Amino acid sequence: MSTEVRTNFHEELDEVRTGITRLSAGVTELIPRATDVLLDADLDGADEVIEGDTVFDERSLVLEELCFSIIALQAPVASDLRLLVSSLKIIADVERSADLCVNICKAARRIYSHELDANLRGMIQKLGAQASRLFKEATEAYLQNDAARAAAIGDMDDYLDDLHRQFIQVIFESHAGGTIDLQVALQLALVARFYERIGDHAVNVGERTRYIVSGWTPDQPYAESGSNFEIAADDADRGG
Amino acid sequence: MSNVSAQIELLEQGLDMTSALVDNAAAGETSGHGGHGGQVVFDLQALSVFYGDFRAVRDGTLRIHDQEITAFIGPSGCGKTTMLRCFNRMNDFIPTARVEGKVLYYGVDLYDPAVNATEVRRRIGMVFQQPNPFPKSIYDTVAYGPKLLGVKKRGPLDDVVERSLRAAALWDEVTDRLDESGLGLSGGQQQRLCIARAIAVEPDVILMDEPCSALDPIATARIEELMAEMKRDYTIVIVTHNMQQAARVSDRTAFFTTEVNPDSDRRTGILVEYDRTEKIFSNPADQRTEDYVTGRFG
Repeated sequence: MSTEVRTNFHEELDEVRTGITRLSAGVTELIPRATDVLLDADLDGADEVIEGDTVFDERSLVLEELCFSIIALQAPVASDLRLLVSSLKIIADVERSADLCVNICKAARRIYSHELDANLRGMIQKLGAQASRLFKEATEAYLQNDAARAAAIGDMDDYLDDLHRQFIQVIFESHAGGTIDLQVALQLALVARFYERIGDHAVNVGERTRYIVSGWTPDQPYAESGSNFEIAADDADRGG
Repeated sequence: MSNVSAQIELLEQGLDMTSALVDNAAAGETSGHGGHGGQVVFDLQALSVFYGDFRAVRDGTLRIHDQEITAFIGPSGCGKTTMLRCFNRMNDFIPTARVEGKVLYYGVDLYDPAVNATEVRRRIGMVFQQPNPFPKSIYDTVAYGPKLLGVKKRGPLDDVVERSLRAAALWDEVTDRLDESGLGLSGGQQQRLCIARAIAVEPDVILMDEPCSALDPIATARIEELMAEMKRDYTIVIVTHNMQQAARVSDRTAFFTTEVNPDSDRRTGILVEYDRTEKIFSNPADQRTEDYVTGRFG
């Protein structure tokens, strides 16, 4: 029996959500692309990804401005406010992840002409696939406002972190075995770090999504169950 | 019985209540938690208000804390004004109205037959939607209450008028025209004059029923500023249709809505959620509150 009384406003909110979803889906596709660039030593592909980043930057700005104008003009509250404030942060996470794909492509340029052994290639494949999987989950959880799905991203990230550690080990072994020199080893270690950071941004998106759905925050896991502000205020009293 | 002796009798009855209130207030101080208010001024226990057979609002249970602004929000007909009018027994003026449940004011049941309604209304003042200054001079509008209460000498009256007008942030604007009619002021000034009139009898609670809905945004902002200052000295309960106003000025917000009675088509007001204002406007616990504040319910 609920009657929508702010149709235009809520359509604008939908616009924010779909806009960010598109941006984030773009990054989900960009990750395997960067992986291919690295594995295939595809210099043209690297240039395309690097130049294409301006599109992500521009779209991020447009979405940010849309959020600002809705906040300024519509005085959103409750879940609408949580969506907008979180979306502003999610935009930054997504935009930064696109930058990290650019960084992977720049690393690909630097190690161009150096052969990578099968072990290293296999690990890069796995890292890229897992990072992309995380981003896909985060994007869909955000689009569908699915807190349960968002909450699972942390575990997926643990696996990515494991892969990161394993990859560093493989880099050491390959370097010790003489198949890659120090410069390549260093670049690959950075690449590992870039994938790992992309995973962290996906985790952030998941956490922001949980906040949108229920007001959940990592520091206050029980925030949704009651008067968290009351508790916060009382704590402040005791502290001051 | 002359008017004067009637007034004295009312006051004496009131004093009985006052001493009980002072005792209760002192007892309450130890249990109050510091910071923003804390001490319970009003304790509503399962309050229902009936107009004849019709239950306008049911089972309101909430506590109003001192030195805080509490806002009542909700759609038309949800009972928020009816509830507000219980705080100083304004519903007594409606012959068919009656209440069930309790309204405790510092632990004293306001609807106890021993309690003097006039004294209740002195301690718990009210400001209405339409500014309603008396058709008198600005001075006399403010002095009216104190005069009734026995302040007759010019000097003390001047003092209370100035103090009240200053507290209502109106003094500087009317200091040269105290003898002019209050009806010649702008709407915002008239409303502040009504606040000054309410303050003049030294209440400790001020009830406001849509105090800004007839005012322009600047006059509204002034009243809101004034409320923020006044809450240091008074407990304020405000009914407002303007959700942003509730968000801006209040410390706690109560959301009321209506539900259809199963056995008739009539709607009864219910209290849905009562919490700190930040909570109500950032993460309300009840879906009905969420739908209302985000405009998904009309």
